[in-house]
Amino acid sequence: MKQEGVDQVKWLCDKCQRELELAKVKVRYMEGNFEVDLMKCPTCNQVYIDETLALGKMKEVEEGLEDK
Amino acid sequence: MNLDKLLETGDRCIHKEPPTCVANCPVHLEIIDFLSEIEKGNFQNAYKLMEKKMPFHKIIGRICDHPCEAPCERSKAGGSIRISDLEKAVLEYGGYKPKKVWPLPKNKGKVAIIGAGLSGLTAAVDLDKKGYVVTIYEKTNQLGGRLWDCIGDSLTEAMLLEEFKAVADKKMTTHFETNVDKNSLTQLLTEYDAVYLGTSDWEEPIEWDPITFQVGNSTLFVGGRLVNKTDSVILSASSGRRAAISIERYLSKVSLTDSRDREGVFETPLHFDISKKEPLPPIEKTVTIYSQEEATEEAKRCFKCQCRKCIEGCVHLRKFETSPDAYIRQINHNERIILGTHYANKMINSCAECGLCKEECFLDISMNDVIHETRESMVERGKMPVSAHDFALKDMAFSNSSRFSLVRKQPSKEESKDLFYYPLISFSDYVKGLYKGTGKTEYLFYPGCQLPASYPDDIKSIYEYLVGHVKGDVGIYLGCCGAPADWAGQTSLMNENIEAIKKVWTEMEQPTFILACSSCIRIFEKYLPEIKIESLWDVYVREGLPNKDHIKIPQTLSIHDACGTRENSDLHESVRKIVLKLGYGIEELEYSKEKTKCCGYGGLVYYANREQSDAFISERVGESENDLLVYCAMCKDLFVAGGKRTYHLLDLIYPKDDVESATRRMPTLSERHQNRSRVKQILLKEIWREEPMEAEMEAGYSLIIPEDVQKKLEDRYILLEDIQAVLKNAEEQNERFCNPETGEYLARLRRENVTYWVKYRKEGEAFLLTSVYSHRMEILE
Ligand code: SF4
Ligand code: SF4
Ligand code: SF4
Ligand SMILES: [Zn+2]
Repeated sequence: MKQEGVDQVKWLCDKCQRELELAKVKVRYMEGNFEVDLMKCPTCNQVYIDETLALGKMKEVEEGLEDK
Repeated sequence: MNLDKLLETGDRCIHKEPPTCVANCPVHLEIIDFLSEIEKGNFQNAYKLMEKKMPFHKIIGRICDHPCEAPCERSKAGGSIRISDLEKAVLEYGGYKPKKVWPLPKNKGKVAIIGAGLSGLTAAVDLDKKGYVVTIYEKTNQLGGRLWDCIGDSLTEAMLLEEFKAVADKKMTTHFETNVDKNSLTQLLTEYDAVYLGTSDWEEPIEWDPITFQVGNSTLFVGGRLVNKTDSVILSASSGRRAAISIERYLSKVSLTDSRDREGVFETPLHFDISKKEPLPPIEKTVTIYSQEEATEEAKRCFKCQCRKCIEGCVHLRKFETSPDAYIRQINHNERIILGTHYANKMINSCAECGLCKEECFLDISMNDVIHETRESMVERGKMPVSAHDFALKDMAFSNSSRFSLVRKQPSKEESKDLFYYPLISFSDYVKGLYKGTGKTEYLFYPGCQLPASYPDDIKSIYEYLVGHVKGDVGIYLGCCGAPADWAGQTSLMNENIEAIKKVWTEMEQPTFILACSSCIRIFEKYLPEIKIESLWDVYVREGLPNKDHIKIPQTLSIHDACGTRENSDLHESVRKIVLKLGYGIEELEYSKEKTKCCGYGGLVYYANREQSDAFISERVGESENDLLVYCAMCKDLFVAGGKRTYHLLDLIYPKDDVESATRRMPTLSERHQNRSRVKQILLKEIWREEPMEAEMEAGYSLIIPEDVQKKLEDRYILLEDIQAVLKNAEEQNERFCNPETGEYLARLRRENVTYWVKYRKEGEAFLLTSVYSHRMEILE
């Protein structure tokens, strides 16, 4: 699972007014814990997930874990 | 879950059982496949099927006495399929040069064959192929025995010679002109590991085992006319082959009898229903052999007998291209695996639990029960995918929360005093009803959760009608019966819900429940048999309809019965009486009443597999040209969403002037919540004249929602209250992303087990939503 596409470069963290950076982020679903590269604000750590990722790869992983 | 019991149920299903033709064919030619290949013009494939099952197919195919034909199901609708004529045609058009097969080394033992007729040759060739050293003893000077008498129209001398040459080429030792008698047989039995006796008569009576053809415990096996006592060539060949199997098993020291009950002719358990089939006469040959076209036409007449009763009625089984026997094996596997993917989960959650399969099956096999039990087991083992039913269960929780739930006795006489003055009391049944109030609740109106969500404006009218018409006080009880928990397999949640209902019932001194929703009826019948229930529709029939002049345009309607009411024939009749009384005509659907189908909501398929739900909807709405009439709110909403003009019974009983009710679109998920809350507010205010206890839903930000975003909200099960919460957090905490190029914001908020994302732009004071989505995975920021 990883962030793709060019769309995200345009987004800034509104609170910190900073550009997002690719970083290792911990995600969790059911018994699954992973580290993935996602875009986030380097100051407040707010993580950006776009629609394609949420409804694509992320959903696939969720469903895979639910069927385990 | 009792998996042995499950597999037993699967074994009862006759879907995979052979048709009667195959069961009556002693060598079990795969006749359906054979005919299908002919139908497709694939004569060579059909030929290969003959080669696979028939000993000496080029001979037998021409002279077989075809015991398969007489019992053919087609015989009851035009005439048996001419299987043997088709075999002749296939030999004519489908032959090909066989590939050379290399013989196995002959090291498995010595077998003597007595008699080189059809059965002896079959046994000899089979055993030779398997690697036995075979020696043939024949009293005449040629192979074939009475096959030489079969030469005629179809079988020629040249054909026989060619076949026997192929046998001779196998180089089995053959002693011609050697008569074997009692004494020489005793000698042969000592010389050979086994002996097959295939002569047509023998000097003394012999007894053999009818399954293995073994004589006592000896190494002697018999077959052919001696055993069959008929001239049937195919029985002869079959017995030779079966004896060869016994000899091989005997010499390999394995059980002679294991799983042999379906060798030779047997009775198939298949029941094939031809009651709705049109008769079609056989295709006659123009010359002695079918032309390819004639053969193809004749093969087309075959029914391909197979039990598909339940599958024909069920778009779920068809969508997953499965049958109950296979389905049950998949469930069994799904239940047993510990590590690895549960591939059947999606399928199990795509059944509507509608019960049609059991209704269609003459063996009463109920996939509904099987699947329901499986869901309960999945929940119990923590293997039920949360996302499948999460939204529906939250919706149920909403309905049982203070935002909808309500219990009230009928307003007392004392509280209603101000209404009792002359014109009102003589004109209003409702006020009359209040006036007769006793304080003891005889009835409790329980409209369920979906009807108030879809018909918020009618609940009060129905209540007033009931107070004015039924004998005794009528209270109200708003809530959800628990159908979502039942469908989701959530046993403990279900039981909690049932206990809560029981408690109200007891506190109210056991009133009769008046139910308006077919799912509620099903749930009450299943879980609350002690509570007396009556359907609203039955009440209308008994007490008379509320309004007098409803009919606008008389038309013919087709009634879609709710699948939860399958067994409730009184209810079906009440609904029909009301429709007729209202002045409409009725044209019944093929699948109606106890054979009705599901609209696509049942079993929570609507949430677990939208594609499957859509398949239910579109199949059902395509079954009639007429507008449909339904009496379940979900049926109505789904059919209208599927583009079908559909009336709910309430549309006809309480007609509204401002909208075309047959096409009224379904309320959104958020509107369903709002409508329920509104029903509660209306009732409290206008019936019980109480001030609303909780403030109506917080107004929140004003939103502009374009149509495409509205669709996303519905498809992704996102509520406006989720959106409001995300926006509130974004605006107050500034927790959001911004896009300086487009001026858009993107904000997220985790609520319970879901993270919601909203993309928006500000338009003055309002928020224009540009997209919404969600995920369940948790980001640990
Ligand atoms: S209709 Fe076809 S499948 Fe059925 S018994 Fe006849 S030949 Fe066999
Ligand atoms: S219960 Fe209904 S949807 Fe499920 S298998 Fe049976 S007929 Fe099909
Ligand atoms: S109706 Fe369905 S479940 Fe019943 S025997 Fe036929 S295929 Fe099997
Ligand atoms: Zn930040």
